[in-house]
Amino acid sequence: MGRLTLSNLIEAAIFLLIAGIFYAFSFEFNQPIEIYIFGATAWPRVVIGFLLLATLGNLWFHYRYGNATQATLGQSEDKADFSEAGTVRRMIAVLLTPFIFAYLLKPIGIYFSAPFFIAAIIWFFGERRWKVILIMTLFIYCVFIGLFLMILNAPLPQGNVSPFYDFSAWVLKLNAKLQGI
Amino acid sequence: MIENFLAGSAALFGDPFTIGIFVFGVVGGMLFGAIPGVSMLTLAAILLPFTASLEPAQGVMLFAVIYCTGTYGGAITAILFNIPGSAENAPTAFDGYPMTQKGQSGKAVGAAVLCSAIGGIASALVMMAATEPLANWAIRNIGPPEIFALVFFGLVVASSVGARTIWKGWMSVLIGLLIATIGQDPVGGINRYNFGMTDLAAGIAFIPAVLGFFAVSEIFVQAEKKASGKYQAPKVSMTFPSFIELWMHKIAVLRSILVGFFCGILPGIGATLAAFMSYGEAVRWSKNPEEFGKGKLEGVISAETANNAATGAAMIPLLALGLPGGALTAMMVAVFQMHDLQPGPLVFMLSPDLIWIVFAAMFYANLSILIIGVLETKTILNLLKIPFQFLAPLILMLATTGAYIGRGLVLDVMVMFLAGIIGYLLRRSGFSIPAIVLGLILGKIGEQNFAQGMQMVHYDLGTYLSRPICAILIAAGVITLASNIYRAFTSIKTKA
Repeated sequence: MGRLTLSNLIEAAIFLLIAGIFYAFSFEFNQPIEIYIFGATAWPRVVIGFLLLATLGNLWFHYRYGNATQATLGQSEDKADFSEAGTVRRMIAVLLTPFIFAYLLKPIGIYFSAPFFIAAIIWFFGERRWKVILIMTLFIYCVFIGLFLMILNAPLPQGNVSPFYDFSAWVLKLNAKLQGI
Repeated sequence: MIENFLAGSAALFGDPFTIGIFVFGVVGGMLFGAIPGVSMLTLAAILLPFTASLEPAQGVMLFAVIYCTGTYGGAITAILFNIPGSAENAPTAFDGYPMTQKGQSGKAVGAAVLCSAIGGIASALVMMAATEPLANWAIRNIGPPEIFALVFFGLVVASSVGARTIWKGWMSVLIGLLIATIGQDPVGGINRYNFGMTDLAAGIAFIPAVLGFFAVSEIFVQAEKKASGKYQAPKVSMTFPSFIELWMHKIAVLRSILVGFFCGILPGIGATLAAFMSYGEAVRWSKNPEEFGKGKLEGVISAETANNAATGAAMIPLLALGLPGGALTAMMVAVFQMHDLQPGPLVFMLSPDLIWIVFAAMFYANLSILIIGVLETKTILNLLKIPFQFLAPLILMLATTGAYIGRGLVLDVMVMFLAGIIGYLLRRSGFSIPAIVLGLILGKIGEQNFAQGMQMVHYDLGTYLSRPICAILIAAGVITLASNIYRAFTSIKTKA
């Protein structure tokens, strides 16, 4: 295994999987273009080929030199530290929260879900004083509503499930009343 | 040139709303550059969808102003927190952060203010004189083969930025290129990689991807630092450098302007290369090179003069050839496209007013760095005291709205958060986000121009390479690639 670590192998496997999936799906649009002899598949397949080469090169590099670095411009010196289980748990929660928020946007809408999302992010960033969380959540929510609804009139997701949709409709009606529309 | 500049200035300052946008860009660029955890790219990504409702000149001008002031603002986080606002501020941290640790942050920030302004103003003046003649030359001499060759050169340079190894640099570029293949192919309009989802037929929208890769991934990085207890508040001091101290470095300033401008013209990573090269030259010319990296004022001066000198130069390939030189200029291409404009030589003929408003705005933005930077640095430094746990949800809400309102699709919000998670994991594994984004933006341009170029030369590679500019650029790309590989393998730093 040389100096390869498990993370090097996982990294290589993910990139090889990406290359494999994109290559396999390239047969779905493998049809000639009358004005261009290389067709629609040529460019993606060349990119996939080079990605395969770079992934194997990266794997060889780790095999030969371990987790050494090379002199490229602007690389960050600071690296992830997942030595503590608490950090990992908190990071999983931080990564999942926006996804859950995005998933709920369609049924629930942004007007109802936003305060919960804001409070959750403040909490995950280490704030534990509930009064501060409440005040800052309200403040950020008001800034958000003021900017996008009242000033920009931006069309935002309202949800499609009752009573969340009704709540969004009430917010929009309130905004219309305040602006005299 | 002076008449055009005055006309641009009059247009800029003749309309209160345009003045408001200019001031917003100046202050916003400085603030976002100066707040740890976010950067000018975060602000630009958030604002991108809203530029659709502005006039084309206002939208492009806003981004140009953010580019100038944000490049300076990024120096503040580099000096105070050892977090460069963007890759071009990385060498500023080499000496700026040790100065902060020694309680000389005010001196380092003061030098950054002055040198950023000098570098930027000098560069803006040369940009005004050089861009239009270059664009006129480009109309006659630059075609699809040359543009493809420039894209190739840009991608080669981009592969050497920000990643921990050259292999990871290339993997980053190629992932960006692969994402760019999703959607219709640019020649025949055939659907590629839509995986049965009709929303993907138009491809991955640029705005959610950029928001995810830059803004959201940065929030996740800061969250990790908070969780692991690595997040540190800076020590702030307000003693500015004296005039004599700065005068002693006049040669370093002049050298950095030259290095910055010539590097800035290169598409790909102009400003980053400029800052690193200028810092390297400062070390090479110094009588006491061992003092660099330990808090030497000249290190900050060299890096900050050069990266701001590169901002004006980076506009030359964008406006004259239509090729973005970095992530922010890549977003400017999107601003042009939103208004059915294409940056490149023709824009000088079709929209000369727009060009001169942008030029004038960049000149005044650099002047503003000097005025606002000196007057308001203390305020900016106080704003740094806002806890990040309150900035993070605000940024995420802005990003969510920015991603959604472009096409009104929740899918775009999902794409943004997915790009954020992928960006975060790739960053922490040593991959380069600017390289991915450049691959994403240059991918379609490269493929389209390669196809058109091959059709022009009837698929004869010999004819393709016999075009002198094309051959020179391809050769430059190959030589750069070879030198990158050589440098990478002669500088391997094995971990203990």
